[in-house]
Parts: sequence; C-alpha cells; structure tokens
Amino acid sequence: MSSKQNPAPKHKAADEITYLRPVSNCSGCGDTKVSWSVREGMRRFNRQLKLKGKDRYELIYAADRGCGNLQGYHAYGIVDAIFCMGSGAIVGDGIKESCSEKQIVVTASGDGAYNFNISGIKFAAKNKKFGAINVIYNNYNIRMTGGQIPLEVDFDKEGSAFGFEMIHINPYRVNDNAELFKELYGRYLNKEKIMVVADGVCVLDMGKDAKNSGIRMGHFIRSDECLDLKFAKERERVAREEPEKLKDLPKFKCRLCGIGLRCHALLDNDPGKCFGCGACIQFPCPVGALSFEGPSFSTSISMTELKKT
Amino acid sequence: MENIASFDLGRMRLSGNQAIARGVLEAGVRVTTGYPGAPISDVQGSFEQLAGNIPKTNPFTIRVGEMLDQTGYQLAAHWGTTTNEDNAAALALGAVICKADFKKREFLTEEEWDLVYGDTVFAKDKEKRIPVGSRVMCSFKHLGANTAADALRVAVNVVPYTGGLGIASGDDRQGTSSQTMQDNKVLFGFHFRIPTLELHSPSTAHTTVKNCYRLFEELGVPFAVIMNYDLSYREVSVDPVVDLDMEVNHRRKGFTRDPKHLVTIGPHIRPRERKFHSKLMPLFKQKIIENFEFLGNRVTEYGTEPKAMLVVNGPFREDFRLVDDDPALKDRLLKKYGDVVVIESNLVFPQPGALYENLVSKHPIEKIYVFEEGYGRVIYLQLLDLVNRRNLEVKILDLGIPYEPRIYERFSYIDHILNV
Repeated sequence: MSSKQNPAPKHKAADEITYLRPVSNCSGCGDTKVSWSVREGMRRFNRQLKLKGKDRYELIYAADRGCGNLQGYHAYGIVDAIFCMGSGAIVGDGIKESCSEKQIVVTASGDGAYNFNISGIKFAAKNKKFGAINVIYNNYNIRMTGGQIPLEVDFDKEGSAFGFEMIHINPYRVNDNAELFKELYGRYLNKEKIMVVADGVCVLDMGKDAKNSGIRMGHFIRSDECLDLKFAKERERVAREEPEKLKDLPKFKCRLCGIGLRCHALLDNDPGKCFGCGACIQFPCPVGALSFEGPSFSTSISMTELKKT
Repeated sequence: MENIASFDLGRMRLSGNQAIARGVLEAGVRVTTGYPGAPISDVQGSFEQLAGNIPKTNPFTIRVGEMLDQTGYQLAAHWGTTTNEDNAAALALGAVICKADFKKREFLTEEEWDLVYGDTVFAKDKEKRIPVGSRVMCSFKHLGANTAADALRVAVNVVPYTGGLGIASGDDRQGTSSQTMQDNKVLFGFHFRIPTLELHSPSTAHTTVKNCYRLFEELGVPFAVIMNYDLSYREVSVDPVVDLDMEVNHRRKGFTRDPKHLVTIGPHIRPRERKFHSKLMPLFKQKIIENFEFLGNRVTEYGTEPKAMLVVNGPFREDFRLVDDDPALKDRLLKKYGDVVVIESNLVFPQPGALYENLVSKHPIEKIYVFEEGYGRVIYLQLLDLVNRRNLEVKILDLGIPYEPRIYERFSYIDHILNV
C-alpha cells in the first residue's frame, strides 16, 4: 500500500506480483530435518530427566552463515546467534564462558564454513573447560551461492585428529537422530567432544544424482486415518449442508507432520511435490497415518545402495 | 552497595600493557581473549598468568595473583589457543552477548534508555535497568585488527549486546616488530565506528579503561583503547591502591534469547545500522561530552583571550603535561601561540563536536592545531568535517606526525609542539 512517505514504485510492471512469504527450504531439505531432531532431542532429554519449567535444560544454538543454518532460524526458531562466516563454533565457546550451567550450546556449520574457519572448530575441540556438539551440514558443495565445489574434506580423519568423536547421521532418519541428540546432550555435560556430520543434506543434488542413476524416488502416502483428511471431508460436508457454519471451523485439524518437518508436500498433501526424502517415515504421527512407497533417502543417501532397493 | 575489594600493590612500576591489564581487572572483567604480538602481548600475557594457564613470572602478576585468589575473582583467559585475532574477537563476542543480570542506570535517562534498549527483549523492563553479563577484553597488535575485522564489524550490528566489550590494540607505528606501521585509529574510528581512545600514560591508563567499561557498557557499544609502541612498554610508578569491582565480576551468568538482534541477516541489521549512525552516534557524542573528564580528558585555558586551540592526543599529551611542571616551557607555549585553549584528550573517535563549537563561540579562536600520531589523521579529519558542516570561522591545522619515531631519532613531542 502506498502513502506519501512510501509512494508506490513507478516502474513496476503491470503483471508483476510480489509474493510475500517466509523464507523456506525445499520440502526434502536435510538441514530442516536435522534441526527438528536437535530440538526434539532436547525435549526428550528434559523429559527423560523429568525436568519441568525453569529446571529444564535450554538449547543455545550458535550457527554459521548459510542455508543450513538460516532454515534453523526461519523455520524452527532454534538459532540464537549467527555472526560471521566460520565463527559458529568459536562464538559458541564464547557463549559457554558466560551462559548458565542449565544451557547447552550446540554449534553448527555448513561444510563451506568448516573450511572457512577450521581453527575455530579446532579450538572448540581443544578447550578442556566445556563439552562440544558441533553439527556439520555436509552437502558436498557451497550450495547457497551457486554450487561451487569446496575443498574436499575427510571429516573422519580431520575431526578425529582434532579430538572429536565422529558420528555420521542420515538427516532423514529424524527419530533416530532425535534419540541420538538426546544422548549427546548428556555427554556434552560430561565435557565430551562430538562432531555430528549430517551427510547429503541437499536434496536437490541428491534428487539429480538419483535421476541420473535411473532411480525413481518414492513418495509419501496418507491413510484414511489422517486427521486432516478426515477433517477435510467434514469441511466439505459443512460447506455443502451448513455453509453458514463454515467460517467458524478451523482450516486444518492437525498438520503436525507438515509443520514439524517443514514439508510443503505434506502441508499441501501433494505427493507431486515430494522429493522422496522419507523423513516422514520416522515422524511420530499421532494416528500412524503416514507411510511411504518406493525408495527414499532415509534408507540410504548412497545411490549404489538405493539401486539395490 | 558496590562490592569493591581494595588492596595495595606496594611500590611498583607498571608498563602501559600492565596498566591496561590492571584497569581491566578493576573493571571486573571475567573473560579475556587475545592473540599475542608486540607490543601488546603483555596485556593478555598478564591475564594468562593470572588465570593460572602459565606460571606467574613478574612482580605484577605475582602480587595481583595473590589478591585475586584471596578475593575469589573469576577470570578466564584465552591467548594463543585462539589461533588468530579473528577467533579471539569471535570468542569475545560470544562471551559478551550473554546478558542475564541487570544493573541500575548510571548515565542514561529513561528516554535515552528507550533509544538504546527499546527494540531488544529487555524493552519491557519497567525500571529500565541495564542488561549486563560478563565484561570481556580482547587484545591484539595493530595488524590483528585486520584479521579480526570480520568479527569486529559484526559487533556493531549487535549493539547493544556488545556493551561491556573492550578491545585493546597495540600500535607498532615504529615498525619495530611488524611488517607494516599501521594506524589502527582509522580502523576502529572510521571503519568500525566504535568509541576509540588513545591512552597517553601508564599512570592513568587503568582509570580510563575502567571508566570506559562503566560508560560504554551502559551505552551498549564496544570500545577500543590504543597505545603506541613506546607507551606499551615504558614502565612508570603508579598509584598503588587497586580496587577490584567484585560485583561486576560475580554477575549472574546466562544467555537471554533475542534472535532478532543476534542473528545478523539483512532484515535485522538494516534498521539497526541506520539507527546506529543516525541516532546512537549522536547519543554517544553527547554522553562523551557529559563525561568528558570522567574519560580522562581535560580542557585548560592559558590566558584570558585565546585565539588558538591545541588538541593534544596520545604521546603528544603525555609530553604536554611537562608544561604544567616547567614554567620555561609554559612561557615558550604562550610565546608561540599567545593565549591558548588546550584540549588534552584521549578521545580519537567520535569527536564531541558540540564541545568544540561551544569553545569556538566562547573564545575568539582563529586556529585549531591538531597534534596526533598516525597517518590516519582521524581527529584532524573529524574537526575539518565539523568546521565545514557547521560553517565555523576557524582554520584547522594538522600538525601531527604520521609514524611513531624510533628511539634513536631523539624525537621530542613537546619540542614538536613548541617549535613546529
């Protein structure tokens, strides 16, 4: 809307439409799935310790720059600080110096940021005062600025040499990963140093690789038990029989899977938008209505392995 | 009530570096980071010894160390382990953004508090208290600021969360142990645009550093103190009574979430960047004028009708105090400049324009002579800008020197002031 202070741009084309929407990643983005697991892991950790209210442990998430971490801020609101490229791990250690004992600091980098400031990550590994959980979103390239190829990293050798215990995860196995993070928070408090490498977080690249390998990825299926599908039928009935009551009805009933996994395909109930990541296989649907048909990246991110399935 | 632990150092001579370290401890700083390099190594080296990371090797750290142990002073020091200055600054950033405690307002009015803290998560605080956490010091040599520039520039974007962060830079303008003779006032003043002071004496440095923490923490902005090579290493006798601010040192730890401030993406930083330059910078200038003497600056009038004003900064200021002790020098000063107003100033950036305007309107001043060290001419250029913008009928003359003279050059700052 234009005003005296903010007049409408004069040269705007008649057919130009600006869509206002929050920043969101692809449906099958592995970054978002890791973020879900990091957050869910903290919930389960507190639940396991039977901590409530102010006694609960709190997650502090210091991130690097890049799409892997921006989604954590935009989609999940779990990111607390993003400063310079490559500074996530060392800023996290600064926070550890001044935060309370009830706050657990997780740091995260993309593989590009890892190379950018490897010494900051090394500092986190060598700092004996605190534990460290450093998550690496490994998509094998510098995705956000156009797919440049970064310096090759052998995380197992390098991370182990720093002093990290190396754990590789499949980002799409969301429930397994949440359980893993639940365990890691306890180990963090014992001052252990862990680097979690989430391999293959860019579903666009993996989708292309799968296509080139002749693999047809599967898609999600919702059974009739799905609360949203049931509710959609109910809305249709109300619209048909009692249209005056329609405005009082909510638009959706559940949407836990779509919102939880930030998946457009699930939100729109459109298998055509599904990348075949398979994260929904492990998502704790309250009525068990989610299933998956065909190969998915949650089975494996290796094309050779997928071919066998 | 303030919780101050006082003790007597005894007869002791401190270098400029140790004086900065002393000021940092008196301010209650809990986390110190840095990367070694001449001439600043002794600042962080002192903390490293006091934190117990390496053995205490000199009278200053041995004596102060005993006191810190007795008082239960909390100190974390990260020196060479940070591997470079950028990491040191990033570590400092992480430590300073944690705000979980509060202190009463000391310098800000309620309206000014709204301006500084109004868009943070603390905005709803009814008493309009200052959110505080660990005070932090980060030190490195002049070249270190090039390496740390990434983190230091971001520190401006997360104001006021970086209040309580002090940066000490040792400038090797002699090129004694560096590959360049860089003037860091350009970086801290013109590029980072944070309050920048050039300390002039090991005997007063600790007070200035301590007071900078008090003022700039409340304003929510980091500050930088700079010393040249000679003053970093020169030892002088100092006031022996050390006052440690234990209340500050024992503040509650904790991180308060405010991703809209601490996640530095375009939509977040654009309005704050505008606010920093258009609203906060004038506030900083105003507060600097209000606390001009508190920050260790002085305005002295010699004679009743001064037509000249001298601005003496850094090492020029160090030598200028001889004028007060030596009548012959005072006579030479008056003979050279006539009646004169002298601003003895630590301040490099921002220059308090209103103070100069006030003095120029009060006295028939025709010329302002600026004596500063360093090729950046940061004070000179700011005053030139002020005169042009405010259309003042006064000439600004740059009489500084671009580099710090080597000892064998037998350069005298006071002779330069009186003979130039």
